Amino acid sequence: MATTYTGLLTRGLAAGGIAGLAAGLVSLFVVEVPIRAALAVEEARAAAEHVEGDAHEHAELFSRGTQVLGGVLAAVVVGLAVGALFATIFAYTRRWFTDRQPFFRSATLGLAAFGVAALLPAIKYPANPPAVGDPTTVNYRTGLYLGLIVAGIVVAFGASYLASRLGHLAAPVRVTAVLLATVAAVTILLLVFPAPPDAVPADMPSSVLWDFRLASLAETATLWIGLGLVFGLLIDPAVRKTKTKANAKSAVAA
Amino acid sequence: MTSPALTPSIAVPKWAFAVALLALIVAWVVLQENGVALGATAETVHEFFHDGRHALGVPCH
Repeated sequence: MATTYTGLLTRGLAAGGIAGLAAGLVSLFVVEVPIRAALAVEEARAAAEHVEGDAHEHAELFSRGTQVLGGVLAAVVVGLAVGALFATIFAYTRRWFTDRQPFFRSATLGLAAFGVAALLPAIKYPANPPAVGDPTTVNYRTGLYLGLIVAGIVVAFGASYLASRLGHLAAPVRVTAVLLATVAAVTILLLVFPAPPDAVPADMPSSVLWDFRLASLAETATLWIGLGLVFGLLIDPAVRKTKTKANAKSAVAA
Repeated sequence: MTSPALTPSIAVPKWAFAVALLALIVAWVVLQENGVALGATAETVHEFFHDGRHALGVPCH
């Protein structure tokens, strides 16, 4: 069991790398399918605009193959970064299911991180494939997106705090109260935050749009929930104990 | 309130803040940097990680 911060940090980086690679594979085999469809829409649009034969296309910096590789690499690098963050937050937590095993604590923290950093913004500001976003509103959209994540972090922190304050209540009552308060807070956030400013262009098929949004959610779920599970496996002494027992058993059998 | 045996209190060194900050900066460069810190290089970073940004649900043009 990792009992030092450095021990947790190395395991966080390892778990982040593994979860990031898994998310990268989801990107490669799942998210790239609707991205290709969206790029076809973009190309058709460009062809229609340059119908007068103006051959002066702006040169692409990278080939499609390189960008696909960049998509996988982005997931791995982001995985390492959130792995380090996750380990640090895990080390700081003083209230997060303190009466449970490390694996449970890590898995639920990963689930909460997915809810706050991916699912919440995906509900209010769903991911868009290339050829949808308006470049002039990108800073406003980024602000809304990050603002909602920060607000979600506050809600998660508040829920954890509330649970610790309601320690005198029976567990089922406490869980119900915390869940109700969380649902109420999330509903208020979703109502208060302004609608996304961009309209989806008419030439983007809604099937491509939704395939992309679900695929994107699959990738972020792999990243965050995978991170919580792998980190939990790496830090929980129970995993090692079972392994030792199994080894001992097989040694006896042999 | 809870059994301390299951969750030994871990001493977090001060430099953990630097680790968290570095992790946030790395995530920022990959997912958000549009020229604030890297200037013209940002365009290169942006285009290389372009698929990743979209796929991870980050707002993009």
